[in-house]
Amino acid sequence: MTFARRLVLVGASAILVFVVPVGGAVAGELEHVLDEANESTYTATRLIVSMWGGQTNVSREYVERANGMEMVKRDSDWSMAGNGKAASMGDKPTGVTFLTDAHGEETNRYTVVARSNVNHMSRPSRIIEVMEGDILRASLVVDDRSGALLIQELYDEGGDMYRRTTLSDFRAYRTYEAPMDESDVPMEIVMHEESELVPEDAGGYRLVDAFSGPGGSEQGYFTDGLFRFSLFVLDRRTIVSGFEDSNVFLTGSGVYDMVATPQAVRVHWSDGSNEYVLVGDVPPDHLRDILAELPDPRSGGMWARWWQRLFG
Amino acid sequence: MASVNRVNEHLSMLMSCYLDGALTPRELDEVVFALETDETAIAEFRRIQEVRRTMRLLPLLDVPAYLLPGDHLNEQLSAYLDGELATLEMPVVSAHLATCMECRRDLAELDKSRIAVRALPGLEPPEFLDVHRDVKQHRRRGLRTAIAVASGVAAVTLAFTVGPLASEQTPVAVSIGDLQSRHTAVASVSSGAVAVQVSATP
Repeated sequence: MTFARRLVLVGASAILVFVVPVGGAVAGELEHVLDEANESTYTATRLIVSMWGGQTNVSREYVERANGMEMVKRDSDWSMAGNGKAASMGDKPTGVTFLTDAHGEETNRYTVVARSNVNHMSRPSRIIEVMEGDILRASLVVDDRSGALLIQELYDEGGDMYRRTTLSDFRAYRTYEAPMDESDVPMEIVMHEESELVPEDAGGYRLVDAFSGPGGSEQGYFTDGLFRFSLFVLDRRTIVSGFEDSNVFLTGSGVYDMVATPQAVRVHWSDGSNEYVLVGDVPPDHLRDILAELPDPRSGGMWARWWQRLFG
Repeated sequence: MASVNRVNEHLSMLMSCYLDGALTPRELDEVVFALETDETAIAEFRRIQEVRRTMRLLPLLDVPAYLLPGDHLNEQLSAYLDGELATLEMPVVSAHLATCMECRRDLAELDKSRIAVRALPGLEPPEFLDVHRDVKQHRRRGLRTAIAVASGVAAVTLAFTVGPLASEQTPVAVSIGDLQSRHTAVASVSSGAVAVQVSATP
């Protein structure tokens, strides 16, 4: 083999080794990263800073994660979620269990780009970026050993970060066996229901499963592979509490009541026939796209509401 | 076979009690275990849910008074004489009249009264009252129109204020905290820890 051939061969190998894994978009990589994070075991303090709709919200909480379950202590309240269950352990413990086949969705919407390897909190980690076309949607610092997401930064379409989640005091094991046992909590069991009110898709998000909700409502669970939201369609007489101090979310399709929390955004509106509540972690521009494909809010006056009540 | 049926009946009863929110923690565990491991139990649970939903959706029917046992025809007698009964009411009223002596007697009395009223002579006012009568008729017509308009406005106002309250069922209250917990629970199944949120308080 001539020197020139060897040089070409070595050069090609170097390109394969260094360029492809770093710059390439790997199919299924996002699902793999999120699956690993979901199955990771750790104890940490989680700080979430959210800037949504002109509001800044901060949450600091103790987190313990194992076997797909996450236990959170916020102020003096314990709660847990995972494997289709959610329970709060307050004075009056309550819980809900979903029997669903919903799982990680493969998506063509996002590509994952591995950027670099770093040491974060003295832990070998890698930085990956999740791209939606040319738009950076998320920058994640992933712990190599546990798969936990040490830092999550989420961006809107303009490149502005709207949520940053960081783990500190990180230990890749459970510090003590907290009671991840919901046997004493009365659990409501919810199963799949066929739905006529929930659309099959909205704003690039696909309906994964539908369920019956409280007060005869319907719940549709949507995801685009990275972000998730639930749409609740309720009877128009339903009184939804929690929006008393809401802000206005204005889009081309109308005016909505909105409450942003550190973890999620909650939107409420009525089209005159039904009440709608959307809960999820979607970016602001995605939310606009989703709302544009759902029934528009109809404010109407007092007479319009009375007419609606009288004659439907 | 009998014991299998007994087990199924027991489980069905527990599932029904579960939907009523009347289970002890131990019974709840039994239901949860069955629903997580037994496809037959899941099918049975769905069947019970379906039956209950169907029951809820059934329209509430107001039974006509004349179909209630022991009740006699009242307003229907007048409508019967005027030929104003609905097509479906006619055979019911006819059948009742064929068997109820009391209603037949009421019908005959009502018919006699109507004939007597129709036989009364009409009274014409004296001629010297004609001018005043025109003026009074004009005034009365105006008064009647005013009363009719006022009554209409009052009726519409009443319908708009009381109507919605009377026709509404008790509204259901739902907290956003509950809805958030439901979203959290479903979202926790799928992969990803991106902003998994747990809601402890509404």
